[in-house]
Amino acid sequence: MMGETLLEVKNIVTEFRTADGQLPAVRDVSFSLKKGETLCIVGESGCGKSITSLSVIGLLPSNGKITSGEILYEGAPIHNLPAEKMRQIRGNKISMIFQEPMTALNPVLTVGFQLREPLMLHHKLSKSEANKQGIELLKQVGIPYPEKRMNQYPHELSGGMRQRVMIAIALSCNPGLLIADEPTTALDVTIQAQILDLMNDLKSKFNMGVMMITHDMGVVAEVADRVMVMYAGKKVEEGNVNEIFDNPKHPYTKGLLNSVPNVDDPDFELEAIPGSLPSLHEQIDGCRFHARCKFATDICRSKEPPLSKISDTHHVSCWLEEEEGKLG
Amino acid sequence: MAEIVPALGTEIKKVKKKESPFIITLKRLLKNKLAVIGLIIIVVQIGMAICAPLITSYDPAKQNLVASELPVFSEEHWLGTDNYGRDVWSRIVYGARISLVVGLVAVSLGLIGGVTLGLLGGYYKKLDGIIMRIVDLLFSFPGILLAMLIIAILGTSLVNVAIAISIWSIPSCARIVRGSVLSIKEKEYIMAMKSLGASDLRIMVKHILPNCFAPIIVFATMRMATAILSTAALSYLGLGAQPPTPEWGAMISQGQAFMWSSPHLTIVPGIAIMLTVFAFNVVGDGLRDAIDPNMDIQ
Repeated sequence: MMGETLLEVKNIVTEFRTADGQLPAVRDVSFSLKKGETLCIVGESGCGKSITSLSVIGLLPSNGKITSGEILYEGAPIHNLPAEKMRQIRGNKISMIFQEPMTALNPVLTVGFQLREPLMLHHKLSKSEANKQGIELLKQVGIPYPEKRMNQYPHELSGGMRQRVMIAIALSCNPGLLIADEPTTALDVTIQAQILDLMNDLKSKFNMGVMMITHDMGVVAEVADRVMVMYAGKKVEEGNVNEIFDNPKHPYTKGLLNSVPNVDDPDFELEAIPGSLPSLHEQIDGCRFHARCKFATDICRSKEPPLSKISDTHHVSCWLEEEEGKLG
Repeated sequence: MAEIVPALGTEIKKVKKKESPFIITLKRLLKNKLAVIGLIIIVVQIGMAICAPLITSYDPAKQNLVASELPVFSEEHWLGTDNYGRDVWSRIVYGARISLVVGLVAVSLGLIGGVTLGLLGGYYKKLDGIIMRIVDLLFSFPGILLAMLIIAILGTSLVNVAIAISIWSIPSCARIVRGSVLSIKEKEYIMAMKSLGASDLRIMVKHILPNCFAPIIVFATMRMATAILSTAALSYLGLGAQPPTPEWGAMISQGQAFMWSSPHLTIVPGIAIMLTVFAFNVVGDGLRDAIDPNMDIQ
């Protein structure tokens, strides 16, 4: 059922107004997502992946703003909608799962109350109808005794359970796009796998597009159809999951893959990427990664690399590839 | 895949008998002996106020000059009578009604105003400056002076006393609520609610406000004590209840003239005020400890 484009992000720039002036956190990022597809946005903390997702759902902090570019959902622009219109889209067509299941549920309200909210809000269901559907949703996310859970408070559930509840809440209105901001980072590894499986199942069931933000390459390998690698606010590489894993082009992507331990290969050397992410307001000429890149040449230090095409689906923004592309 | 079967490891421990936060708080409160005493005093008082005609045999305003200034433990009047021969016990009992009702009205009005301002100020950054400056302005008056000023404008009556006290309760309540809102609105679950498309009003009332209940309940209980004390003070000054209304403060003020001949006319209503204020204060203290989640450790 893949094919139809669900979300298109074109050249967005998201800036923050701060005491040091305008800080661009997302710089000219474009990507698209098809129905039934999972796009993983990967990168270090602070590289702009969360801000990209918040830009899409329109929940930037009050000092943040999309200053240029556009975001299209099913072909219609959503980046400039008035607050009220955007509110109707949130939860209904685009919804989001957060990282911390421990804090993303309101501690003083029952699970049922929080589950009924979006249903009563967007589908205008009555309380009893919403209750029925809520129980159905809890069943769908694999929660035993759903009737009982409806009257429980979040502190009575385990972390994995809470994340399931979060997913149930996010999916309650059958959204077309689900944004998951590191949904498994705070969970035990065994629970992580269950949650990822669940998300995969539900994705194919509802034919949703999923935008998953993570820094865990293991998670990427498990769920992603496509991968976008971000570095310091810029997209550095994008491709299908096997293209990225089998044939990474950008030195940063290679670095990310090499910094995941490999148990099967005893000779595997864990390789950390030296240095750290530049701060947002740092003026960097050329490629933003050059300071940490061992292949950096003069042109990397002076001119920003364009996006070069490896295949129809695989793009990379690196001078090393650009030259090869020219030759070939 | 039609139905997702709960995977292994997701089974959670059998939940023992469900206890609502209310029951937990009540249990903790009952462990505090002082708070229990306060609670008993308050309950007795509410009972007195409700059943006033049943537990008194005299009309609190009925004069009987033949039996004036009877001392305590007289045959017919166990708390004696005042200079007009009115039964002091009846007046105390009916006075409990007035104190509780005025206190309740004043605190409720104060809470409505304070919670609204606090929510708006805490949630909307732009309104915060304006609202907090108004609150600062109200704070700059000593409480009783502010109340007197309001009564001077509105005229002397118990209703106006309630209004005056409620206005004076607004600033502190607004501050407390604003403080809680400021911390709660940054929580992830509020962000999650926004991501579900809830409106600001819905988020404020249904999701932030319940999180502020703990400090609000404590504030309201403590404020009852202040309100009752202020009602008595204002009536004592002649700004509240007018004769022959059996208000405790007014009773002290009238009994003053007979302090040497019949001291019970000032002492009895004085004790009534003291016990009430004490009761509400210790219950407020106890509630604060009971609601505080850190108390779990003990």
